[in-house]
Amino acid sequence: MTEQMLSPIVPTPLIPRSFTTTESNKTGSWRFLKPRYDEKTAPCSAACPAGEDIARVEMLVAQGLFKEAWETILQENPFPAVCGRVCFHPCEGVCNRKEFDDAIAIHTLERFVADTAMRYGIQPDIARRPVQGPRVAVVGSGPSGLAAAYFLARLGYTCDVFEAKSEPGGILRWGIPLYRLPVNVLEWEIGRIRSLGVEIHCNHRVSSDFLRDAGDRYQAVFIGCGHHRNVDLGIPGENLDGVEEGLPFLERVRAGERPDLSGAVAIIGGGNTAVDVSRCALRLGAKPVIVYRRRRQDMPAFEHEIEMALEEGVELMELWAPLEIAPHADGYRLVLQKMEVAAEEGPRAQVRPVPGETREMVVSKVLKAIGNAAEEAWMEPPEGDGKLLRLANTALVRRDDGPVLVYGGDLAALEKSVAHAVASGKEAAMALDTYFQDGWDAIESKVSACRVGQGPSLSMEMYLGGERCRRNPHVVAFQEINTDYFLFSPRLAQPRLLKEERIQGFSEIDLKISAALALREAERCFNCGICNQCDNCRLFCPDLAVCRDDNPQGRRINYDYCKGCGVCVVECPRNAMALEQD
Amino acid sequence: MELDVLDRDYMCSGHVGCPGCGAAIAMRFLLKALGEKTMMVIPACCWSIIAGPHPQSTLKVPVLHTAFETGGAVASGIRAALDAKGDTETTVVTWAGDGGTFDIGFQALSGAVERNEDFIYVCYDNEAYMNTGVQRSSSTPYGAWTTTTPGQEWKRLRKKNIVEALVAHRIPYAATASIAFPEDLVRKVKKAKGIKGSRFLHIYASCPTGWRIPSEMAIKIARMAVQTNIFPLYEVENGVRYTINYMPKGYLVREYFKLQGRFKHLTDNDLEQIQEMVNEDWELLLRKAGVSMSAAGTVA
Amino acid sequence: MKKVVEGSHAVSEAVRLARADVISAYPITPQTHIVELLSEYCSDGTLNAKFLRVESEHSAMAALIGAASAGVRTFTATSSQGLALMHELLHWAAGARLPIVMAEVNRALAPGWNIWTEQTDSLAQRDTGWIQLYCEDAQEALDTTLQAFRLAETVYLPVMVVLDAFFLSHTYEPVDIPEQEEADRFLPPFKPAFQLDTQNPSAFNQLAPPNVYMEMRRSLQDAMESALDVLDTIEDDYEKLFGRRYGAVEAVQCDDADIILVTSGTVTSTSRLVLRQLREKGEKVGLLKMKAFRPFPFEALRKHTAHAKKLAVIDRNFSFGAGGIFAQEIRSALCNLARRPLVFGYVAGLGGRDVTTDVIEDIYWRTKTSAHPEGESIWIGLHQPAPAA
Repeated sequence: MTEQMLSPIVPTPLIPRSFTTTESNKTGSWRFLKPRYDEKTAPCSAACPAGEDIARVEMLVAQGLFKEAWETILQENPFPAVCGRVCFHPCEGVCNRKEFDDAIAIHTLERFVADTAMRYGIQPDIARRPVQGPRVAVVGSGPSGLAAAYFLARLGYTCDVFEAKSEPGGILRWGIPLYRLPVNVLEWEIGRIRSLGVEIHCNHRVSSDFLRDAGDRYQAVFIGCGHHRNVDLGIPGENLDGVEEGLPFLERVRAGERPDLSGAVAIIGGGNTAVDVSRCALRLGAKPVIVYRRRRQDMPAFEHEIEMALEEGVELMELWAPLEIAPHADGYRLVLQKMEVAAEEGPRAQVRPVPGETREMVVSKVLKAIGNAAEEAWMEPPEGDGKLLRLANTALVRRDDGPVLVYGGDLAALEKSVAHAVASGKEAAMALDTYFQDGWDAIESKVSACRVGQGPSLSMEMYLGGERCRRNPHVVAFQEINTDYFLFSPRLAQPRLLKEERIQGFSEIDLKISAALALREAERCFNCGICNQCDNCRLFCPDLAVCRDDNPQGRRINYDYCKGCGVCVVECPRNAMALEQD
Repeated sequence: MELDVLDRDYMCSGHVGCPGCGAAIAMRFLLKALGEKTMMVIPACCWSIIAGPHPQSTLKVPVLHTAFETGGAVASGIRAALDAKGDTETTVVTWAGDGGTFDIGFQALSGAVERNEDFIYVCYDNEAYMNTGVQRSSSTPYGAWTTTTPGQEWKRLRKKNIVEALVAHRIPYAATASIAFPEDLVRKVKKAKGIKGSRFLHIYASCPTGWRIPSEMAIKIARMAVQTNIFPLYEVENGVRYTINYMPKGYLVREYFKLQGRFKHLTDNDLEQIQEMVNEDWELLLRKAGVSMSAAGTVA
Repeated sequence: MKKVVEGSHAVSEAVRLARADVISAYPITPQTHIVELLSEYCSDGTLNAKFLRVESEHSAMAALIGAASAGVRTFTATSSQGLALMHELLHWAAGARLPIVMAEVNRALAPGWNIWTEQTDSLAQRDTGWIQLYCEDAQEALDTTLQAFRLAETVYLPVMVVLDAFFLSHTYEPVDIPEQEEADRFLPPFKPAFQLDTQNPSAFNQLAPPNVYMEMRRSLQDAMESALDVLDTIEDDYEKLFGRRYGAVEAVQCDDADIILVTSGTVTSTSRLVLRQLREKGEKVGLLKMKAFRPFPFEALRKHTAHAKKLAVIDRNFSFGAGGIFAQEIRSALCNLARRPLVFGYVAGLGGRDVTTDVIEDIYWRTKTSAHPEGESIWIGLHQPAPAA
């Protein structure tokens, strides 16, 4: 048998057989809709006065990256440990998860990441500009002043803070009771601001002369000295001995005094100060009664604070207005006028007296907490000044003969809250930096370019040109979340001291949570509008057109092959993508 | 999904499936789970085209394209050849559409699984003859429009319950899976791969073109089919051991139907009737799985 | 080793000797004996092959398409309705260039049910791309089957080995069965030029658009055209080892013949007897046995009929609306020649009716005495129809 016979004598058959892939078919040419990564704005971050990137913070917590989460907050807010305790957390009120089961415990998680950093003495790595020429004076070391100094220092400016009192912190130190904010927490936060080179000069009361002379040393002055003048009730007897103002009372208690109270104590007012005062009075042995001229739902105090106060045993008398305070053998006789709702207009109901309906009560002490105002006229932004620039939480005045003045904090903010104070300090820092770099006229547009969503919250990360700049200002609505990717899961219950334990003293009420609980809670977050690398886009792409990439997104769409089906966009659980005309 | 599965693909870009093709997604998941030691039989179906014309192939595993009704038999032959060659590593997989499975290929499939041939038969179900332009098959569901059930002649017959037909053969493993549940799908493929004998997977693969749905809804619709009990996820071992993998959350079938152009002619009465049929099928399945109705939260 | 075996079993022995790897079949009379014996051989270990007992002929062929695509030697056998059911896949096997070998036992197609011999079933598959080789006796059936594997594996075309129902399939004859060693020397293990391979993954038989399809068809035709030369060379080897050869056609006393009987299958054996008798009477008659039908042996046919005046083609088959299929093909093969014999087309023996020496002699005399054929096809031995009730 010949060799020839063993091998085929016909050539290899020409058969339908592949020898190449389909990759030469650029199916991208079919496309008429184009998906792209389009990170959007989470409602929580838009609602946060400090503009914190909450969706990203929760993503980092869920990944166990606690330090990075903390640093992400510090981009926007120098006080995570404070705000994680005292903020009224409007973020949770708009949380999209609320429509599904319960809002994320954002507040608790903020405190968790800050406390974790505190416990382990972690130093943040946050970019800072090199020190540059202009110097800024900050009047008042409350939250707005310290925030202004913090952001200005990060932007490279030298700041001197002047504080009238013996220690820095303002309302944080003197106005918030210890059971809400332990002093070591505050000091840790302030210490970090100092470490940026910010000088805080305590016991240094500033007068209006300072504004005149400051031009020698400072190119700008931030005025953030808050509201410390008490507002009068305008009724007989309000200046009787022992009838005390709320804020000084809180300050005394915070300074360590423990006045011996007993019996019924009336607290007049409906704001946070009134509630704090009542709860302190309770802890000092009194039976506090809050007397408020409107209804509970009209009280400016934070709802959860009212709730806790009532839970602890504070009594609330709604629709009673004080008419007179008179001395009495057992203390004071308080005459009250019954009120009724006249109109449901605005944020609070309009009330009017019910003719002829009054009552009297005897109390051992009266505490007034109906509001405060600026102590001196120069502390308020001048009205009608042509060179006045009003921003959301600050007012700037440019003068021919002295440094630029910036009014911030309670003096100019939308609301009186720590978060608004932070917002104010941040806005001031941005405005001044813009002024120094690009001139007065650039301020408004440059600041408004840093809005989170539709504003007024501002982002320093955006101001500094960080990744957040690329976010679409569109605020993600619940309907835009693909809830198929989420399971019902109960919200973390904040562990607290029992109410019996609480009223024994001034120990912090809210307890720490474990990392395991924090992880579980953070995993509940929808991460509205931001990519958490879930990889659904890559997984479901029928055309394998989503690839891993080194870019910050971690992946990219290969438009050579993407047919524009849009599956990636719909299957993005959190609306971090968009589909648009190609 | 596990990273090793997420990151490996045995399929290329540039295939010619329609935008949003559920069958393309299904194939991707299948091969992720099977890996390279796979030989694939593809009888006539959309995938005969999707895979690309000569000299292309979008798949990175060997493929034998074959005649419409031969899925069960061709795979039997490949398996026999591999056995003859002593290759015990390679998994032989038939990948067929609903027409090739429920209809024309049913005989060869039934024959193969009766012989307990050692292979995996996967039916990717898009509920009609899509490749030829949307003609009804015995998989087309009650209520659907197709080009051969047009207008008021919409299909008034139930979809064949293919899994139960296969289960009746007492094969070692039969399961349903959906492109909207990739982890479940991959788990089942891996499980099937580890079993000897005939294994059947019924994968629900939405077809934007034929179902008259926007392409971006491909996964969403597939998920709703599961959520509404229209396409329950379950598996059956040895023809008797039923496990239901997904318990419903009370979605009504109308939510699924109203999103699809192929059902747009249905009235509220029709939808109520369909809901009853779905409930009936679901209850039957629950009985087989030994799950009580209240535990399963059946839609009333 | 000589052994008296049934024609069917001669095929089975050849498949055993070929060491087929995968056999797949579905029962149909009169093919069944072939695979029954093979099934036995598989179960008792005589043959180390996978035997797939599929649920239809269609699946039998489909399974072999799978197995052959995976690169192994394959065999099936069928008949009549079974072959008709396979039809689609016959195209597939050839188009995929798979060297599948099939024994096809000629049987008439229903209705009415008829299990007896007729060639229409296989001839109806003439355009599927299969090589078709018609056998005359059990020895040839064995030899052709063994050769078929080598032919198929050389030209990458499937081969149909065709034998008459009962007259051959169920008839016992002495057959020289080669020893395994000798068979192995003739037929080396199959080394496929292409196959399903996870190391080198290719897709086979995918979409072939107009820009490539025609070239593929031409490639198949090229293989067909080479097949007769290849068969010739294979027969050289076979003859060296076993001393037997058949040729694509066999010409008996054709050189000086005025009339040549053209036959295929078992009619050939009967015709040999008639030929001897007529020659004894001084008739100048020859016999041309057509073994290869696909590819069609144009050259050999023309060569051996060059000097004849008339051809008497006996067709045990029929193409309705045309004529006997061999006759048609022979006419078309000769029509362009300047000098060509007249072709008389006879239809005989349909549905298993006996084609006896008398029938063949009758055909001869009719041919001799007619100046021209009395029609396109001349039906032999038709009974008068019974009057309608």
